Amino acid sequence: MRIFAKEEGGIVSVKIVIPHPNESGTRKDESGKIVPAHFIREGSVQVNGKPLLDIQLGPSVSRDPFMQFRFSGKKGDRLTLRFIDTRNQEFAAEALVN
Amino acid sequence: MKRRAFLERTPLVAALAVLTPSMLMAAWNEKDFQKVPLENAFQNVLGTKELVKTDKITIAAPPVAADSSAVPVEVSSSIKGDHLYLFVEKNLTPLVFSCALHAGALPSVALNIKMKESSLLYGVVREGGKCYVASVHVDVSAQAC
Repeated sequence: MRIFAKEEGGIVSVKIVIPHPNESGTRKDESGKIVPAHFIREGSVQVNGKPLLDIQLGPSVSRDPFMQFRFSGKKGDRLTLRFIDTRNQEFAAEALVN
Repeated sequence: MKRRAFLERTPLVAALAVLTPSMLMAAWNEKDFQKVPLENAFQNVLGTKELVKTDKITIAAPPVAADSSAVPVEVSSSIKGDHLYLFVEKNLTPLVFSCALHAGALPSVALNIKMKESSLLYGVVREGGKCYVASVHVDVSAQAC
């Protein structure tokens, strides 16, 4: 997972990219078989150990999910992110706000 | 040969993935992400179909999407809500995401999404018990999902 977190005027903008096939479960491959669903479906973000947001995601998110959000914060705030896909694989990362 | 073996094993793997219970996934609300018409999705997710139209929610999306497999959409709101949602009317599963906002979080989430066809997008903000909604139309010029 890649995280970019930048503060400007008291507002922190966070961009994240999670490399993931994010298959919706409705797409067919070249032989006509349905590709099984495999997507990121839950995520949580904490700032300095306190919950900031909890997100639930459906199958309509693009491949390699790219997400942006904002919060009131400052440089040096510690972000902790955790995402889980439909196969229970966990993606976790930490970053400091620039 | 290898490919054949893989294809034969795939249903088993998929079945295992479905059957394996997990504490981690307990929070994911399957009911919210059913393949139902938009009205039913509103009812399932928000508990109501009575949404208040507002111009205080902004949905930033391209009016025409050349690549429907990655349409950049941002939902933001000047209503300081506690939950933010995005729905795509014509997708099999209308709910794209539901996001609980805690202290400090601004009601603004951007995400790249898949669109089955041209559709209205609905951004919803919940503040207390009330749900506010705004919508925009996105034309899809090539299909992906």
